[in-house]
Amino acid sequence: MGKHVITMLPGEGTGPEICEAVRKVIDHSGVEIAWEYEDIGLDCLEKHGTLLPEKTIKSIAKNKIAIKGPTTTPIGTGHKSANVTLRKLFDLYANVRPAKLIPVLKRPWDQIDILTFRENTEDSYAAIEHMVSDEVAQCLKVITWPGSVRIAEFAFKWAKANGRKKIQCVHKANIMKMTDGIFLDAFREVAKKYPEIEAGDIIVDNCCMQLVRNPAQFDCLVLPNLYGDILSDLCAGLVGGLGFAPGANIGDNCSIFEAVHGSAPKYAGMKKVNPSAVLLSGVMMLRWIGEEAAASKIEKGMNKVLAEAKTLTYDAGGTASTDQYAEAIMRAMDTI
Amino acid sequence: MLTKATTGRAKRPSKPITLVGVDVYIITENGIPQFDDYGAFKIEFISNRGTKVWPGYVSEDLMLVNWYRCRFMATKTVTDADVDTFLAALTKKWKWSAAQKLWNYGDEAGFSKAY
Repeated sequence: MGKHVITMLPGEGTGPEICEAVRKVIDHSGVEIAWEYEDIGLDCLEKHGTLLPEKTIKSIAKNKIAIKGPTTTPIGTGHKSANVTLRKLFDLYANVRPAKLIPVLKRPWDQIDILTFRENTEDSYAAIEHMVSDEVAQCLKVITWPGSVRIAEFAFKWAKANGRKKIQCVHKANIMKMTDGIFLDAFREVAKKYPEIEAGDIIVDNCCMQLVRNPAQFDCLVLPNLYGDILSDLCAGLVGGLGFAPGANIGDNCSIFEAVHGSAPKYAGMKKVNPSAVLLSGVMMLRWIGEEAAASKIEKGMNKVLAEAKTLTYDAGGTASTDQYAEAIMRAMDTI
Repeated sequence: MLTKATTGRAKRPSKPITLVGVDVYIITENGIPQFDDYGAFKIEFISNRGTKVWPGYVSEDLMLVNWYRCRFMATKTVTDADVDTFLAALTKKWKWSAAQKLWNYGDEAGFSKAY
């Protein structure tokens, strides 16, 4: 396979140190990648006057693949989220987040392997908000038929290609009969084309309760944007927290892979943060571009380090630095 | 009639309200709308599913639905009557599902921008 050109977005806070460790591990896998480093996030606001410079946009548009470190989204007021802007700009409509148990992290469950497919461009994330009187704010929840059909199509195709057995649509259509109703109707319509996959639906509040009570019953979940945001974090918590939670934002022609955790600015420069989530996002990216051997090598190396439990970052109960953990993974990869 | 239910609730300190524009939700199958000059109101941006599609860069991958939020900002001091006149003119050419007045509360905009 030829050399890939991939946009690297280190982000801010702990992002640059995490992404540097991740780049070394990915390069160590033998895959040929020419990295294009571009700025994004609060740190480039002073430099470029924007969270998302035009040069960064052009690089992603050209390369079609990017991997991104964490960025901070100002709360309440101020600038728009760079993450949401990217998703909208490139129509990255499918947010895929796997939640699998990590061996070294002791959890109360034996088996969790849940894939969430979050619709990534609609819902209350359409950024249509108004103060309609001095004491009333409203936010439009926008759910469309074509947007709902394509995330359902994406989920069923992914499930079929990866041998998954069951997909459930998560909704609140008993209350939001039109918005969540259209999402559920579209899911049911698409499900008819995939009789080999068991299709069902579950109301979002019941889904949350069932997830914390018996997560092993779930396989794949398809959700509108807001429920997907919340439940994918819930799933990440079930398997050991955001330090091990990768994610992919996929569109028809462009994809951006990123961890779901924040930039942890209080740890910036200390090189102690767990790079696993960004690294696993990199593994997803390698699989997406057809580099299965490299992806598998990294995954096995990481699992070996976690199973040995000698070189772990603080969140996993160890004292290793970001770099020491990455170096241990590279040494483990050499033995595979 | 004022009752305890309306007077006894928590009140937010109020700020002076200024009408500065109107969001109009246009339905069209003919792509991104192009508007005539409406004098008191000038088109500032158009978004589709919350994503800005005019002016500026639009990804060729972007999926558009037939419903556009069109933000018109006032070019001068305007009143509710100006909004009525504007919407009456707009109705002659465009089908729209809703309009939302845009107010500033003190110095702060009471409305979000598009992504």
